[in-house]
Amino acid sequence: MAAAARMTGTAAPRLAATLLLLAAWQGLALSGWLFQDVVPPLQTVLGGLASVLSSRDFYANAAITGAELLVALTAGGIAGVLVGVALGSSRFLSGAFERWVNYLSPTPKIILFPVLIMMFGVGVGSKMAMGSVSCFFPVAISIAAGVRGVDPALLRVGRSFRATRAQTLRKILLPAMAAPLVNGVRLGFGVALIGVLLAETKLSNKGIGFMIMEAYHRFDMPRMYALLILAVAFAATVNLLAGRAASRLGGQHQGTLR
Amino acid sequence: MNALLRVEQVSKHFGTRENGVTAVDRVSFGVAQGEFVSVIGPSGCGKSTLFHMIGGLVAATEGRIDVEGDAIRAPHPAIGMVFQEESCFPWRNVVDNVAFPLELQGMARAERHERARHFIDMVGLHGFERNQPSELSGGMRQRVSIARTLASQPRILLMDEPFAALDEQTRLLLGDKVLQIQQELSQTTLLITHSITEAVQLSDRILVMSFRPGRIKREIVVDLPRPRTSDAVVSPAFGAYVADIWNDLRQEATLGLAAADRRRTSAA
Ligand SMILES: Nc1ncnc2c1ncn2[C@@H]1O[C@H](COP(=O)(O)OP(=O)(O)OP(=O)(O)O)[C@@H](O)[C@H]1O
Ligand SMILES: [Mg+2]
Repeated sequence: MAAAARMTGTAAPRLAATLLLLAAWQGLALSGWLFQDVVPPLQTVLGGLASVLSSRDFYANAAITGAELLVALTAGGIAGVLVGVALGSSRFLSGAFERWVNYLSPTPKIILFPVLIMMFGVGVGSKMAMGSVSCFFPVAISIAAGVRGVDPALLRVGRSFRATRAQTLRKILLPAMAAPLVNGVRLGFGVALIGVLLAETKLSNKGIGFMIMEAYHRFDMPRMYALLILAVAFAATVNLLAGRAASRLGGQHQGTLR
Repeated sequence: MNALLRVEQVSKHFGTRENGVTAVDRVSFGVAQGEFVSVIGPSGCGKSTLFHMIGGLVAATEGRIDVEGDAIRAPHPAIGMVFQEESCFPWRNVVDNVAFPLELQGMARAERHERARHFIDMVGLHGFERNQPSELSGGMRQRVSIARTLASQPRILLMDEPFAALDEQTRLLLGDKVLQIQQELSQTTLLITHSITEAVQLSDRILVMSFRPGRIKREIVVDLPRPRTSDAVVSPAFGAYVADIWNDLRQEATLGLAAADRRRTSAA
């Protein structure tokens, strides 16, 4: 109910903003101020979208980027959770290593790309590595904070019932951190996608990032915009779904966590 | 006395020898099978520290605690703890909270739910099995914690001020519930409290602790008939016990307040 009301409340201005943006685009395209094709008219972009979506090429490349992203999320995410739990639960480890995680976290990971190419080759391996490295940091940091936020009383309950380490992790730590976990994965997804696409634009012959650069080099603007729109739509959809999951988890333990 | 739980010359120091606190000082007592014993003392006298040591969560600096000769070095299977703080898992509903210790033991879902329901009924929460803790009152949540510990069927139930955060009426009614449970299960219980009425209402024996160092100052055998209910609170015999203990505790509570005042002025 409340969500529906909020939707209708902001739906009108949102629609207006979208229409305004599209109109401005179209105006600019038709004005002839810019070099022809830099801002192609909407119908041309739509045509590009249709041709991209009907090409087999697109799906093959999307599958490659998707697979790279999946591996990056899994590898970077698992490493992030493990390191985050270690940092969050040991004062010694956090004292020794946490500052390094914090320093490296905002560093643009693309500067590591040459090293990753040497380690993992010019193919999908180095893209997966780029995505994993990117994903690792926000996950590790939010999990470490999440572990520290776990109510010590709940951990004492676990100890008093003689829970094993694995049981403590599975039945107390992870559920108590469900919200920061989803949030970390959401942030991790964003940067992993950036990492993978960026790496593909730099050096590769496959993937959506490669297709975007290829369209650019051929000066095929409708195709390039079509690919950009699809990439943005994909990222926005995943973000929306993760956000929903996070708020559902948050709502479940009203007030106690968050 | 043939004690099930035995605490012998147990002390706990925090900090260094020169610059620290002796929270618990050479405390000794035993709890027999089926007995209900309360430890009463003013705030800060070391009750929770003693509770954590008996529960095996904190090591004693000196002395020995054992269950039928088995020394406690870690949480002991014979002891079930109910904590002073809120301790329900907020992401589990009532049934799954109560079934938690059984889940750790690897009991099958249907079986552990059935056992959990039994203890939920016992603490008077029938009908709330599927509710989340956030939908319950503080008193109800504390009953969930008690049911959860009872579900693990400990030989000794160890409770640290389980009703401290509740109002007096709820506290008396929950006291009735505890009495009823203890009669039903002949549950050996060690209750830590700072409520005199609660201690007299529930106990066979009361150990009065002094304020800093936390020692056992006196032992009182409560010779009131059982089964008891909260109605007993108005009887003259009950009043006599309360007055007697209050006399003892007043001095200790005054010491505690003075210490708190000193801390406040030295901090300012
Ligand atoms: N981990 C600790 N480190 C240092 N001092 C502590 C620690 N735990 C408790 N103390 C000190 O030991 C003393 C006893 O504390 P404890 O929590 O056992 O009191 P309590 O009787 O349970 O009080 P309350 O009735 O308020 O719960 C206090 O002076 C407290 O400051
Ligand atoms: Mg206490």
